[in-house]
Amino acid sequence: MTDGIKRRDFLKVLGVTGAGATLAGCSTKPAERLLPYLTMPEDITPGVATWYTTVCEGCQAQCGMWVRTREGRAVKVEGNPNHPVSGGALCSKGHATLQQLYNPDRYAGPMVRENGALRPATWEEAETLLSQRIQSAAGNALFVSGHMGPTMTRLVDQFVGAVGGRRVQYDALSEAPLREAMRIAFGVDALPKYDIAGARLLLSFGNDFIGSGASPVEYGRDFSRMSAVDEHGSKGRFVFLGPRLSVTGLNADQWVPIKPGGEASVALAMANIIAGDSGAAGPYDAVLRAFDPRTTAQAAGVSEDDIRDLADRFKNEGPSLALGPGMGAHHRNATAANLAVLILNAVAGNVGRTISLDGGPTQAARPYADVEGAIGAMAGGQVGVVMVHGANPAFTLPSGSGFNDAFGSVGFKVSFAQAPDETSAMADLILPDNHFLESWGDSEPRPGLMTLRQPVMLPVPHFQSKHTGDVLLSVGKRLGHDLGGATFYEYLRAAHEDLHTPAMGEFETAWQDALKKGLVQHDVAPMHADAQLRAPDAALTFDAPALDGDGDLTLLVYPSPRFGAGEFANSPWMLELPDPVSKITWHSWLEINPETADARGLENGAFVTVTSPYGSLTVPVWRYPGIREDAVALAMGAGHTDYGRYANGNGVNAMELLPAVSEQPSGALVTIATKVTIVPTGGGRRLATVEGSNGSQEGRPIAPAVALASLTPGAGHEPADEKGLKELQGVGGFVPVDAQGGTPEAFPLQGSRHAPYDKPEETARWAMAIDLDKCTGCSACVTACQSENNVPFVGEDQVLMGREMHWMRIERYYEKVDATAASDLDVRFLPMLCQQCGNAPCEPVCPVFATYSTPEGVNAQIYNRCVGTRYCANNCPYKVRVFNWYRFTDAIPEPLNWQFNPDCTVRDNGVMEKCSFCMQRVREAENRVALEDRGSIPGDGEVLMACQQSCPAEAIVWGNIRDPNSRVARVSANQRTYRVLNEEINTQPAVNYLKKVTFHEVEAEG
Amino acid sequence: MATATTERGALTHPDVERLSDVNTDILKILSRPGKGWWALFLLAAAGVGVFFTSWVIQLVRGIGVSGLNDPVGWGVYITCFVFWVGIAHSGTLISAILFLFRAPWRQAVYRTAEAMTVFAVMTAGLFPLIHLGRMWHGYWLFPYPNSRFLWPNFKSPLIWDVFAVTTYFTVSATFFFLGTIPDIAAARDGATGLRKRFYQVISLGWRGTDRQWHHFGKAYIFLAALATPLVLSVHSVVSWDFAMAIVPGWHATIFAPYFVAGAIYSGVAMVITLIVPMRKVWGLEKYVTTKHIDALAKLCLLTSLIVLYSYLCEFFLAWYSGGVIERASFWNRLFGPYWWATWTMLTCNGLVPIMLWFKRVRHSIPALWVISIFVNIGMWFERYVIIVTSLHHEYEPFAWGMYRPSHVEVGILVGSFAWFGFWFLLFTRILPPVAIAELKEVLPPPLRKIRKPAEEAHA
Repeated sequence: MTDGIKRRDFLKVLGVTGAGATLAGCSTKPAERLLPYLTMPEDITPGVATWYTTVCEGCQAQCGMWVRTREGRAVKVEGNPNHPVSGGALCSKGHATLQQLYNPDRYAGPMVRENGALRPATWEEAETLLSQRIQSAAGNALFVSGHMGPTMTRLVDQFVGAVGGRRVQYDALSEAPLREAMRIAFGVDALPKYDIAGARLLLSFGNDFIGSGASPVEYGRDFSRMSAVDEHGSKGRFVFLGPRLSVTGLNADQWVPIKPGGEASVALAMANIIAGDSGAAGPYDAVLRAFDPRTTAQAAGVSEDDIRDLADRFKNEGPSLALGPGMGAHHRNATAANLAVLILNAVAGNVGRTISLDGGPTQAARPYADVEGAIGAMAGGQVGVVMVHGANPAFTLPSGSGFNDAFGSVGFKVSFAQAPDETSAMADLILPDNHFLESWGDSEPRPGLMTLRQPVMLPVPHFQSKHTGDVLLSVGKRLGHDLGGATFYEYLRAAHEDLHTPAMGEFETAWQDALKKGLVQHDVAPMHADAQLRAPDAALTFDAPALDGDGDLTLLVYPSPRFGAGEFANSPWMLELPDPVSKITWHSWLEINPETADARGLENGAFVTVTSPYGSLTVPVWRYPGIREDAVALAMGAGHTDYGRYANGNGVNAMELLPAVSEQPSGALVTIATKVTIVPTGGGRRLATVEGSNGSQEGRPIAPAVALASLTPGAGHEPADEKGLKELQGVGGFVPVDAQGGTPEAFPLQGSRHAPYDKPEETARWAMAIDLDKCTGCSACVTACQSENNVPFVGEDQVLMGREMHWMRIERYYEKVDATAASDLDVRFLPMLCQQCGNAPCEPVCPVFATYSTPEGVNAQIYNRCVGTRYCANNCPYKVRVFNWYRFTDAIPEPLNWQFNPDCTVRDNGVMEKCSFCMQRVREAENRVALEDRGSIPGDGEVLMACQQSCPAEAIVWGNIRDPNSRVARVSANQRTYRVLNEEINTQPAVNYLKKVTFHEVEAEG
Repeated sequence: MATATTERGALTHPDVERLSDVNTDILKILSRPGKGWWALFLLAAAGVGVFFTSWVIQLVRGIGVSGLNDPVGWGVYITCFVFWVGIAHSGTLISAILFLFRAPWRQAVYRTAEAMTVFAVMTAGLFPLIHLGRMWHGYWLFPYPNSRFLWPNFKSPLIWDVFAVTTYFTVSATFFFLGTIPDIAAARDGATGLRKRFYQVISLGWRGTDRQWHHFGKAYIFLAALATPLVLSVHSVVSWDFAMAIVPGWHATIFAPYFVAGAIYSGVAMVITLIVPMRKVWGLEKYVTTKHIDALAKLCLLTSLIVLYSYLCEFFLAWYSGGVIERASFWNRLFGPYWWATWTMLTCNGLVPIMLWFKRVRHSIPALWVISIFVNIGMWFERYVIIVTSLHHEYEPFAWGMYRPSHVEVGILVGSFAWFGFWFLLFTRILPPVAIAELKEVLPPPLRKIRKPAEEAHA
């Protein structure tokens, strides 16, 4: 908190400028106007949050964001409900962008390499140096960019055009094969728009659209709308075809474990069955004929019946939709595989129905081939100055690409990295960019949808960073080019003024409105509404792709749902977030089928040396039933060497095993390229998993399911029969709290209605409902909760000891997983948090009343009163209480601790903590309601829990269950409703779960 | 009666020739200590150093230096707490209950047992403080008047513990001190210098008058009656720390008697462990005869059977209940990752003491001593098993975990034995470790021909 003075100054500035919040850029610059989304008070009131609208830059999806600031500091990010991509939700990585903002390892300011070492410089000096070098490079500048907004892209193009050079975009994770397949099939150079929510049968050919696709939040939401059972008892079916179950795959109703690279042949065989002799495949009819279901099935490792059955369904259980292998599954025939799936969709009549050729995601589709060319140019000495912005190719490319050598050979290397990375470690000049939460900008996630990014706070004062747009404008000026604007803010505004049409009213009003809402929708006429399949204009083979090496296992390298391609590897939240699939934190692991592991005598955590023709590395194995026996999988994004204190040396970089090969014809980097051998080293390490029972419920009804066939549409909730408890009462057993009628609204329990508890009808009973049929296990809620409630991260050594502190965890149980044949898949996800028991076992055992039930039925924890006996945690059957074993929060360095939510206590060493239903949010709303004279209970939907707010699947509902019209009461009145362990131990939780619905029969218990 | 007493006395200590021998033999223990004592004492002092160093490390850094974690919130500390409270039980049993029941063999061993009780409670009482996350707020567990009108939660078994342990310490320390007064006076009479001063003060002016003996007798029997229910209640309360919780493996009605029996069992074993070397070193064979030891061994055997029965009962009921979670908990206890602890417990507490059925074993001092060590180990593991195996596999399979004690915990565990030994070693040099006055009462004629009815009560 060394920043008291500056913060005060900031408040004064905000105070005097009235309705709009004013943000003084870099103190000498003219003020730029910001508008918060909510009605602004006269000036900022300390203690009252201000919200700003912006756009997330965590990945290419470009979700709209609301940022909550307190006294000038961003403390929480949330999805912008007005935004068509995020729809109000946000993924874990989105939340972790805050930790990138406050990353303690960010560059303190510009750095210049002198005698081999970097030294701090002034911006003046740095910009002068850059202008000189560009001038002396004489038109040989190269700008390597990551994905950027349209205006920034325009500025960079203008800049490189003016100084002489070119720009190359590098997407570490790219949908290039799909884009190329779209071009071949339909002549459309764009990604398709999927209507996942509108499908009734969804096929994913290895596409991990929930964990790491082009738009995880949007697709996750659409998927949950598709697959969750509705009030009519109808539920979409999801079939996953691929060698490994990603988090998306774990949500499937059926898993067809086809061989890696078998997607094209299976899709075409299905298309063959569906098309028959109808000629629906147009120019591809002949191709289809070559894919006889029987032989194809054999080659892909599945049975013919399964393919026929699936094809039948795909045709008849419409509307259907098939997704080709996404970012995580680029093999040497990836374009062909995507094309095959597009053909399958076309013959089933899905084009124009569930697939639209217009309006798809605009980002993340540049191929590796572009960079390949740039590497060649650098290595050939044709580049005088190279500038890298928003990308880290030195880490995300295989070493075989030669990037490092080529980059190193360039005379002058410039990096705009905010924080150290492997590429900037080699740079001669570092011009740290602002974080996107400190920057102006825009993005265009869908054609015509312009979303605006505005700074939500002054740049974090620890770092003298500067917006790259401002740098380019300034350098351009030094070189005598007027690029159109003194600052990037002016440039951006001018760009949007150009886009502005008189029909949209006065620009100033429209601009302010756009800043408030975060977006402007420009009309874009559909261009490809009637596109037909075209004959291919490139040579393609639909056969299984070639794999290098003569190992016996295929290596699948997939993007990490937590790190992406590595961008989030220095965020302790992401490192400590249990992987949605493996539940492992921090370190890397190699996924291997238990059968394969048994054959080699490998237990969890045993080190193996994985060797491909391109490299080898040593990594612990993790036995995973959701991967074929002939494959192993390794996530990208870990194993950094120069990325900051948390990332360095943690895990392994999977890219070391890959060749630098681009897939033809799309040019995408191949990630499923080699066979590998694995040799146990004999050593091992413990995996920092948060899972206790290897995926088994141990016969307990923790996450039960119900078969679709046994649901009665429209039936309400029938209270559980509480057989065991009644039996106990029947034989004279002592049941201190009546087990009957123990619904959440029955709180306070009979016998405890006194003092503030005597008028339950006048107080709320806060309760939650979680629909397990909707939950996808994506874990966004976990990070949202961590961000909102100042939950500390503890480090790998502490996780290994079993001391992770998350208030919410996603339990993952395997019920049916068969990696050998197409079969029903049943994996359950259960978000577990404090159940806010009405009859809480933790309360009577606390010797000092540090935990008790509030009159609203929330199980409160009084941190200041806790002496740390841990008796409450021992007695908690749900094990949702976590203890502060050390002063974890003191270990969080400046300015990472700026993220702390000032409304929520930071807990001290030696006290217990747990979820208390975002009490600070409830209190804030209660105060507001009281001030506005609206009684004492906030209205339904007026308060959102952090987890609920973030959930892309819309699985979590929260509110006052005593109000029969509240959403939580209505959702809970469902025949699928149950409460975990309540029938066994009569805890009367306030958290209702709705059972997962399966297509297959399930056993009654579990 | 008189005949019976004489006969029992004669049987009890046949080798004691004269009353004055008792004074000489016992009080010579209080003379200048030898090298062996000093070696042990320095070892104990070093252990106390380890104990407090470990504790300070934990206070400074946080309780994270232990191996405890989120499913297993209690481990070695609470194991030690229950173990030491258990050890404390036999002292009061021998001195108070057996006093009321007129057991003929208690005089020889009860002083040692009582001292052991007091020091064991002093040790046990530290553990609830040690295990707190915020030890500096430990006083909040006491119901003291405060401006915030905050009281402890009287529903919590931990509060009952606070009362049980403090009461037990007060009563057992008082009882111990009271019983020692006549012997302190005896020591005073032979002492010189500073030591004499010290005894003069703490003997509270004891002169051995009839009037003093009269009051002494009344007070002693009163305190014995007061202490007797505590023997049963304190460990019952300790057992409720577990039985009142809903943790499978803890939540059982059998816990109170089971824990009391276990406490007496471990306490008697500890008495044997302590008295055997004392008897040897100080040549007390004629006061603590094979018969006394045999009686202790029988008590051990009886309680071992109760304890074994309780184990079997628990396993049977877990199976008979049909509850999936209860069954899994006990199956895990036997065959889960902590099987070694459970089988150590079953072997040491259930199987090894079977040998005590044989008189030859009971009369073989070395064998008995070894068995008593086994029982001590077994009873420590019993608490470890109950606490750790129940917590680490509880209701929620996803939240299962493993617990490994850390160096700090081992330091505190070892240090607690040193802390106990430190006080006990001091005791053997300061206070008469065998009850002189009471021994004399049971010695045979001709030293005393007729027992007067009035004295009966003092005996």
